[in-house]
This record gives sequence, structure tokens and C-alpha cells, in this order.
Amino acid sequence: LVCKCKYFTRICLERIREAMLHHRWQEAAEYMVFYPQKLEGSEIEYRQNRELIWRISIELLHHMPNSKLEDYNNIHERMKHLGVKIYLKVSLEQSFHLMLCGQIEEAKQLLAIGESWRYGKESASQHQTAKLIQAYRSLLDYVIWCDKKFTLDDTDDDSVTYQDMHSYFRQASVHLKEIFKNPGVWDPFIVSYVEMLEFYDDHEEALKILNDYAYDDTFPPNPNAHVFLYQYLKRRGASDKKLTKVLKVKQQIQKKGDIKKALGIVMDMLDFACWRKELEVWRSLNDIIGKLNSGLNWKDILSETVEPRKDWWPALHFTSFHAAQDSKENPELMKLKAPVAKIFCPGK
Amino acid sequence: MDYLFPLQLFPSFYNCGPPGGQKHPPCVGAWGCYEQVRPQFQVDSGSGSGSGSGSGSGCSFTPRRQVSGEAWHQKEPLPLPLLPPKPAFVLPLKPPDPMDFTKHMQNFYQDHYQDEFGVMGGLLGDSFYPQDASTQASSIPRWQLDKFLDLLPYQTCSRTYRTVPVDLLSPLLSDSLHSVPMDLLGSLLYDELSEQRDRRLFFDGATGGALDYVPVTEESGCLVYPGGPGLDRLNFQQVEMQPIREGGGASESITTRKPISFQLQGPVRQISSSSILDQICVVVRSQYLCGVWRFSQWEEPRLLQAVSCGQEATGVSVSPHVLGEVLVATESGSVDLWTVGRGMQKVRADDANLYFNAKSPWRWCEFSAHPRVMVYADRTGAELSDIRVQPTSCHTLFRISKASKCRSGERLVLSRYLRDVHPFHHLVTTQHSAYIMDERFPCVPMLKWDHMMQSPPIFCHILPGSAPSAPHTKVLLGSQSSQEVTLLQYSGGRSEACSSSGPPLVLLRPTDSLQQLPVQIPHRRDSASRRLATPAAGLTGIQRKGGGAQQHLCVLQLTEAGDIFYQILQNDAPSHVDETPRRTAEEEAELLASEPLAWDTVSDEDVIGPTQVFGFVPETPERRRPSRTTTDSEGSGPEGRGRGTKVQVVVNENPDPGHVTSAQADKGAGLASAATLSDGALLVWRRWLQKLFLLDHKKKKPRPQNLPHFTVCFNGILQLSVKQMEERAEQVQSLRQRLKAAMSERSMLDSAPQEAPVPLPDGVSGELWEDQLSRRLTAAWEGPEAWRSWWEESLGLNREEKVAALKRKRRREKEARRASGRRLQLSGSFTSSISYQSELSDFSDSAHWGSGRSQGVETDVEGADPDTEGADPDTEGAEPDSIPWAKSPSGIRADAPTPSTRGAAKGHMTPSRPRPPSLTPSLSNTPTNQKRPRPDDYLRSLTGEQELSTQVDSLFPEVLTPPLASLTPPMVSLSQPVRPTLRAGPSQDSAPWSQPQTHSALRRLALAIQPKKKKARMGF
Repeated sequence: LVCKCKYFTRICLERIREAMLHHRWQEAAEYMVFYPQKLEGSEIEYRQNRELIWRISIELLHHMPNSKLEDYNNIHERMKHLGVKIYLKVSLEQSFHLMLCGQIEEAKQLLAIGESWRYGKESASQHQTAKLIQAYRSLLDYVIWCDKKFTLDDTDDDSVTYQDMHSYFRQASVHLKEIFKNPGVWDPFIVSYVEMLEFYDDHEEALKILNDYAYDDTFPPNPNAHVFLYQYLKRRGASDKKLTKVLKVKQQIQKKGDIKKALGIVMDMLDFACWRKELEVWRSLNDIIGKLNSGLNWKDILSETVEPRKDWWPALHFTSFHAAQDSKENPELMKLKAPVAKIFCPGK
Repeated sequence: MDYLFPLQLFPSFYNCGPPGGQKHPPCVGAWGCYEQVRPQFQVDSGSGSGSGSGSGSGCSFTPRRQVSGEAWHQKEPLPLPLLPPKPAFVLPLKPPDPMDFTKHMQNFYQDHYQDEFGVMGGLLGDSFYPQDASTQASSIPRWQLDKFLDLLPYQTCSRTYRTVPVDLLSPLLSDSLHSVPMDLLGSLLYDELSEQRDRRLFFDGATGGALDYVPVTEESGCLVYPGGPGLDRLNFQQVEMQPIREGGGASESITTRKPISFQLQGPVRQISSSSILDQICVVVRSQYLCGVWRFSQWEEPRLLQAVSCGQEATGVSVSPHVLGEVLVATESGSVDLWTVGRGMQKVRADDANLYFNAKSPWRWCEFSAHPRVMVYADRTGAELSDIRVQPTSCHTLFRISKASKCRSGERLVLSRYLRDVHPFHHLVTTQHSAYIMDERFPCVPMLKWDHMMQSPPIFCHILPGSAPSAPHTKVLLGSQSSQEVTLLQYSGGRSEACSSSGPPLVLLRPTDSLQQLPVQIPHRRDSASRRLATPAAGLTGIQRKGGGAQQHLCVLQLTEAGDIFYQILQNDAPSHVDETPRRTAEEEAELLASEPLAWDTVSDEDVIGPTQVFGFVPETPERRRPSRTTTDSEGSGPEGRGRGTKVQVVVNENPDPGHVTSAQADKGAGLASAATLSDGALLVWRRWLQKLFLLDHKKKKPRPQNLPHFTVCFNGILQLSVKQMEERAEQVQSLRQRLKAAMSERSMLDSAPQEAPVPLPDGVSGELWEDQLSRRLTAAWEGPEAWRSWWEESLGLNREEKVAALKRKRRREKEARRASGRRLQLSGSFTSSISYQSELSDFSDSAHWGSGRSQGVETDVEGADPDTEGADPDTEGAEPDSIPWAKSPSGIRADAPTPSTRGAAKGHMTPSRPRPPSLTPSLSNTPTNQKRPRPDDYLRSLTGEQELSTQVDSLFPEVLTPPLASLTPPMVSLSQPVRPTLRAGPSQDSAPWSQPQTHSALRRLALAIQPKKKKARMGF
């Protein structure tokens, strides 16, 4: 009998999966009605499959034309109490759903409950989920903090709101600081934390957080980390020297850096597909070449960057097909390209 | 603004290290997960200064996994064939079992007996012509042969139905009869079968896919695909998606024109194309060859260059930046940059896998955003390598690790540069997931899907989104053996972070088509289903911007049989979101135990012209399968529906009855307008199947006929002239006499030098082989005496004897010295004692490890000195029980003089044969046996073999020699004693050297025919 039951549940699951993969939600829902019923027979199996049931039910609800928030909450609550192992996961997903529905307060409450939930020894993934719950709770604190700040500007009743804000800030900062210690991508958290710190003029802390985020080797090489640092320094009005130090390629050309470096950078940019038709880049390349022409040893400087590209730049930028297309679609680009083309293919 | 990087990425942990064995729910993928969310403010708050933050409603959240994307649905419930079926090799559904190679060998022997046995059969035909047993002794009687041949087609027990002459002949002839040696054929077949099986399970050579669509103009494009039975014909065919008017509603179809084709030298495995400014470059990869074709809107395709790679090519990629640049990756781990017209330049060589040893020679390469930076991938990950500098500088783009949340055992199967979608993005697929990687932020996936496919996706096609009606980028993944095609959608990548849209959608497979077509008679259904189930070989898609909101997507799939199937998807009508259950219709019907619906039949007669013409049975179906049994549940009214929405009941105690009914109404509407098989599609399928059956019919023959063989008459080829024959006969006669004489004398036949038709191998020097086994064998070649003494030596049985011999020797020396005078007495005794010590120590050293040869010398010396032996009876008496056989007349020492004296008399060329048991009783027969100490038991067990050998020896001339003498002249040419004899001997014929049984048999033979010691010293 057990065998037969297992066989049935397996077939049933197969059907559900098949229907869902073909986006036949209604059919899947019909099978899904039977599936947990069959599982009820054996408690163990039900426990083993609770994540499966949870996920499938939620996905089906997503695609049911008139599913309501209560339905979601119902499933989530039931699943939370069925399995301690997935409690945190379910809490997080449930709060996400609330956030997407715009119910920030409820989501925050839910996360707070999740935060204080303890059961036995937590595994590594549970630990990370717990950390995320804390971080998201802090993020919601920040969102509320933003709201308060918005009202702060409008109303005159400063002191109470201000105190409120500060308590939210304190709540948020504890856990945000915590999560920045773990390597990862924390863009939204960093941005919100830095904004709050800036509001309270804690620039040291902000700079430290941003520097750590950008330069810690254990973190993945996130370009945004440098962007945040740069934007922060720019806002703070830091010196050009400091700025260029953090700068990535893009912004550097406007600054009066070493002209040789600038030439290299512009050429590098033109290597990439996305800048090949940018007039601005070609214009600056022309400017640089013009400036070089007036210098003394311009030929040496030019050949240093030109030489390695000699064998493939003509095919990349200056074929007759390019010329034909440019003259048709973008005559200005052709004009800008022409002097550079002379350098690369002097004979033609 | 392709260069923008997302302002904020979704938060995630970055876990280094190898993937852990995370437990994933078995089959849910990413269903029902938002995974992460990201806040978005209506005014960007990142710019700071506080004024940006919105009010309470200003903040919204975006999930990483959006609940739904564009709703695509099929126009027809099954894919349609694009081209009529062509002849193809269709493999059986089940992958072959390598252990079946014997069956294949048997088939080969039966079907191609001329190839296998023709040559030797012709040569031996005269001698083996079945005739009356009385005329020729060596031939098999006819009735026996007939019986044997009758039994051949059956699997019979080789013990019960044995034919003695055949059994006797088969070891003799088994290695000469076959034109292809059995061992070779067997191992080759085994290799081939196991390769075929592996190929059926997963064939990485097909990665990338051999089907591509290159848009040439807005509406039309060029489909590049392989054709021909072996997929070795490259076709360029112009195709066009056209709106056709059909009953008021516009629908899309594909029209084709005549293809331009090129015959290649191998099956096409991958086609990669890129178009730069109207110029289109197509690279084709076959096993060892790669070729580049070029065409444009105005020019026909032409081959620019083809190269042959030394190693098997595993991946090619044509540059999207510079026209005519191609990367070629080969199995050796090297990647070449091939500039068409300028040749290949090796840019990278790597023997090992990138991050860990995955034991896979598969390599892959792709271009990246920079024309001189390429992506180099293998099963463990992908690297960005700058090819301007040597050695190339590399950065990890993707690796199988925890950072990408891989599962253990996950491997990379495909990497693709998404040039049209985003200049910095790459798609990486594994068995479980698909990743979008950004070059600017390596190691961390921008997006990860669980594609939920059964077999690894090795084909992909990317369709960039076209705003505003279909803003999502569509990723089509295709797998090989299971023909799955999955549609994934995502958005973002520029100023927004990537987020996936909707769960994966599985598209239709050709192999499921038959279920929805009219029922076929069984054998046709089998052949059609086999054809349709051929593994996929390529995948591509065409996106056509229809007028207004309507969008059409055509997904084309190539199978290994060369068929192309297409399905058209559209996303305009929202009522089509939920499709009708179609595939499970049949099973569901059974499940619900409802009577199948009788469908009003579409008249078949108006369609099938060819049927009657070619005398086929008209198509069988009187009714079609119920393609929508849900009508059943629909019909069962609100109760059935209510059950359907009870999914909410599971989680929600009080479902709102009102909205249940409204859901029903919605679904009902959806079902009513869902795609059904149109008459046009049915017609296409019917024609296709008819043509397929026609092909089968043409092909079908009872058994593949062999090609007529060009036969050469062998008669007289090996015959000699009459004179030669007479001479020959005389020679044989005299040889036989001499052989007889030699046998009676028990000596070796000293043959004349001209009688050596078989070249003799070079002599083997025993000294070169130092290990114990070789020494023993060397000793064994020298005769039973030497062999026995070697064992005694090695077991230490003759120690006492040796000591005695030494003592005797010393005594003799002493006496001699005594006789020479007393002058040197002191010094003499001194030296003698030294020499005694040294001799003893020498002896004890060499007792166990001394070579058989030196031992032989020793005993020889002993044997050659019989008078000394006799002169010292008292010495022997001093050690009475240590050498029990020394006194017996049948002992070794008693025998020793006989051969040596005979050897001396007959000269070196005369070996002597061992004694038959009747003449010389073997050791084990001596009465002293019973009292032997334990090491002797060991020795006895060894000498047991010796006894056996003598038996073999005695059998040998009676049974086996007559046929041998008639067949193999080498038997006569025993000019060199040992090995040549054996090579011609029967036991060598029966089985290879390596078999243990044969080995022991050989040894026995060797022992039987070996010459006495000293003779072998001339070399074999």
C-alpha cells in the first residue's frame, strides 16, 4: 500500500511539474489539490516535501487570476509552522511579498519576529538567511526613516520626528554594520546606510564603510563599490587628485591628466563595442591628437598606443563598409574618424 | 547607453570555495521565490542631500524574480516540419550496450562472410572441401559439416552440440582464417559501441548547435543548416516569415526558397555566424575541419577558407567585431585566432582544466566586448584572457563554486557572448542552471535561473527584447538527447539590475507530436516515432515584429536526422495565457475513466494523393485522439471546477465561492480559444508522414545485400610444377624418415638449412633477464635437471650437499698441498682457511639467488667428476640423511652424467629429450618420498607439473603431429631447439601467449622438448 501511495504521489508530482513547465496553471492546480492529500497519509513524507509544496503553491498562486494576499499569508503561515528548517526562508519570502505589496510595516513586523526566532543549531545557510532578515529589517527601518525625513522637511514640528528618526537610524545601523562584515554585494544597504550617516554628519564612518566595501579583497570586485566611493567623494568636494585615484575609466578623460594616459584611455574605450559610435569619444580622441601634434615627441607617444592596434583597428573601424554606413547614417562620425584613419592607414 | 552599469545590484552573499552539497528540493527550481528584493525610490535617493527620498508611497520594491513575463503561447499544439523528410540514418531509441559486441561480430560474420573469410577460405578450400571421410583423413565428413552449419544460426550450447573435428580445427585455424583478426574486430566494436552509447547520452561535440538563422533584411533571413544523410551538406536557404490570411485572422508561416548547398567532408557540428555591417560571416565546424563562408544581401554564399585542425575541434566562434576573425578551440586545450586569409595564430594553450581536474578535454571559446579579449571556457569555468600579451593574462569570469551557488557535480556546458543583447554580458549554462555574467563584475552572476531541463542545455539562442511591446530578452535553451527547448525571459542589465521574468516555459518537442496526430498503424508509428525521437542537433529562433502589439516568435529545432521543426509563438492575446492541457490528455482520460470522445473525423481522402498511388494502406484512423479531454472536466460542471480551485482550500479554509466561479469562467474562456491543431498543420504533418513512410518503403529490403565480390581464382596459385612436386614429395618423405629416426632416438631433428621457410627469431640471451622468474625460465629451458636444481637452489635443499662438496674440494686441495711439501704449510693453512671462509660466504650468498645457469655449471662440475664422488664414500656417510636421493639410483646425480656424455658425443646441435616415465621413474616414485621434509613437498608440487609435462609429451606426437606435419612444414625445421618449435606448435595456435593456461601448457611443452643444459648456451 505504501508503495502504491508513493507511486501515486510521484506520478502526481510529475504531472504537476509538467503542467507548470508548460504554464498550464489550472491543470497543475487541479493536481495540486490531490498531492498534499495523498501526502497527509504519512507525516514524514509531508515534512520532507514541505518546501516543495510551499514553493509550488506560491507559484500557482502567482498565476491564479484572483489570488489574494490572505492566501499567500495562509500558505506562508502554515508552512512556517510545519517545518522549523524552512522557517526563516519562508519568513523572508513572505516579507518580500508584503514589501512588493507595499505593506512595509507588516513586512517589518514579520522580519522582527523572524529575527528573534531561535530553534536549535542553525546551519550555514540558515545563518545567512538570518543575517539577511536582519539586513532587510534595517532596510525597512531606513525606508521609514526616509519617510520621516520627508515629513521633516514639510512640517515644523521637528524635535519629535527627529528623535523618531534617530531611533530608526540606530536600529538600522546595528544590523547593517553587521552585514557589511560578510563578503557580498550589498549595494542597497550601503547606499541607505551612507545616506543616513551623511545626514548625521558621520563622515568618518561613511568613508570607512565605502573604502572597506571598495577595497576589501574578500569582497567580489564590484564596480559599484568604486562608483559609490567616487560619488561620495565628489559630493564631499574632494580634490581632483583624490578623485582621479578612485576614478574608473569613464570620468577620467575630462580631467587634465597626463595626455598620454588620456590617449590610451580613449583608445581603450574605442576598443569596446559600446563606445564605437559615440561621437563624444571620437571628438576627444581628435582633441588629444590635435594637442599631441603641437607637442615635441608626439610621434613616439602616438606610436606607443597605435602600434599594438595597427593590425586590427583598420578592420575594426575603417573599412569601406564602415565608411559607407557612416556616410549614410552618421556623417559627423565619419568626419571625426577621418583624421584618425589617416594615422592608422597612412597610405590610403 | 550600453556602457551603463546597474546603479544598485541585488544584495547577495559571496561565498568562496567549492560548491557544497546543498540540498535542493528535487524539482521546483526557483518556483515561488522572489529570491531578493531591491528598493527603488521614485526619485533616486542615491544622489544624497536628502531631498530625493519620496514619501511613504515613494519607495517601491523590485524582486529579482518577477512573477510573470511576456505571455507566449503556441499557435499550434505541435511543432511543424519545415522541410520534407530526407533519407537519414536513424538510430534505435535505446543506446547500444557495449557488451553486445559479440552479437555484432556474429552479424558481421554472417552478413559479410566474404569480407571476413573470403581470402583464407579460397586458399584453404581445396584441403577442406567436404567429402567422403575415407578419401582424406584431415577433412571433416560432410554430414558433420552440414550439421554444424545447420546449427550456426541458433544459439546453441557449445558443450552439447560440439563437433570434434571442428573443435580441433578451430584452435588451429582461428587466428588465420579471419581477414580481420577477431581480437581486433572485437575491441574495435567494443570501442565503437561504447562511444555510440556515450554519444547518445551526452555528445559534447554538438555544443553550439548546427542550425543558425541570420537575418538579412527586415523580413527575410538566411537559414544555415546541414542536410544529407550524414549531415555533411551545408545548406543556405532563404526563409521568410509571412503573414497569411486565414479565415480573417492573420497568422504567420514560413516560406522557403531553394537552398544553395555545399558538400563537406564531415558532418557539420556547429554553425556560428555574425553579421557586421551587412556582411555575414558563417563559420562551420566539423570534427577536424573548419570553414568560413561569407555572403550578404546581394552576394551568394562562398567559401573563403577552410582549415584542418590537428586535433578535434570543440568550439568555434566568429568575431562580432572584426570581419573574418575566428577563434577555434581544440581538444588539446589550445585556442587559435584564425584571421581568414592570414592563417592561424595560437593564442592560448592549456593542458589542464582551469580550476580543478574535471577530466574533460572539451574546450570552448567566445569573443567578448573587447576585440582582443576572449572567453576561454572548459567544464570548470570560464576565463577572460587578453590575447595581446603572451602569455595571456587571465581573469576569472565564471567558475563552478559556491559564489555562483553551484551544486556539487555541476559543470559548465555552454558559454555564449550576448553581443546583440548587451555588449558586456555572457550566458553560461550548466546542467542545472543558466547564468548571466557581466564582464565588468566577474565571478558574481548578474542573474541565475534554474532552467529545470532534464538534460544539459548545449544549444541556445538569444532574442533581444524590442521595446515597447516585448521588452524582455528571451533566452532559448535546447538540450540534445531529450529535445527539450526552454524559454527564459529576463530584463535589465543596463541601468537596472537584471531580473528574470516569469518561470521557465517549456516548448513543444517533435517527439511528442505523434500523440496528437491521427493514429498510425503500429509499424509506421514505430518508424515515425523513432525518426521524431532523434536527438536534437541545433536550435535557433526568428523574431518578427508584427504590426501593432502582435509579436511572433518562431523557434526552429534541428534533429540529427536532418529534420527541422518549427513552432510559432505569439504573445498578443491575454486570454491565451493558460494553455489547454494537451499532452497529458490521454492519460488524464484514463485517469478519469471517462469514455473517449468520438471526434467527428476530418475526411482523410481529400488529402492523401500519394497513398493510393504507391499502394499504401490508407491511413488507419477513423477517429482522432481526443486532444482536449479537459472538455470532460469542463462538462462536469461547477463541481469539477470547484475541485480545481481547491488549491486554495488547501491553504485557505474558506474560499470565496464567488471568485471560484469567476475563475471558472475565465478558464473556460481560455480553454475555448486555446490553440488546437489546425487543418493546415494537420495537412502538413500528414504529407510529411506519408513521405517518410515512402522513404522507409524504398529503403526497406530484407537484408542489406552484400556488394558482389571481385574474386580471384586461387587454384594453382600455390601449386608447384610436377618436377617440384616430385622433389617436394621426396623431401617430405626423407624428412618424415628422419623425423621418425629422430623421434625413436629421442633427439632433435637436425634439419638442413634450406628447409627453413620460416625466418627464425633472434636468439634470446638469458643473462639479460635478471629477475627471478626469468632465471627460472632460463633454467627451465635448459632441461628438467637444471630446472629442478634451480628450485633446489632457491629452496635451499641442496645446501648440505654443497657444503659437502666444498669440504671434499678443500680436502683434496689440502691433500695436494700436503703432497707438494711442507714448506708452505703455515701460509698455506692460513690462505686455505681464508679461502674456505670466503667460499662458504660466497656460497651462502648465492644459495638463494644464484642463477640457474651458475647452478648448472656447479652440478656439471660435480657430474663431470664422478670419481671424486666415488672416492669419498666416508664423507657422504658423514651426512647420511641430508641427501636422501643422493644414494638412490634414480636421483639427479645419477642421471646427470648420461645427458652430458651424450651431448659430448653428439655435439652441440643435438638436444636430448626427457625420458618417458616408463624408462626413468620420476622422483615422486621413489620410495624415499614419504620421509621428505616440508620444503620437499613444495618441490614435489612443482615436479607434479613435470610429470604432467611428460604426459603431454607422450600425447603430443600421436595426436597432434600428423595434421601438423601435413600443414605446417616448420615442424620439420627444428634447427634451433626451443622457441621456433613452439611457435609452430599447436598450443600456441590455440590461444595467445598471455593466457595463463596456455602459459602453463607452454611451459610443460618447453620442459618436454627442452635440450639438456649447456646446449642452450648457444642461444635459442
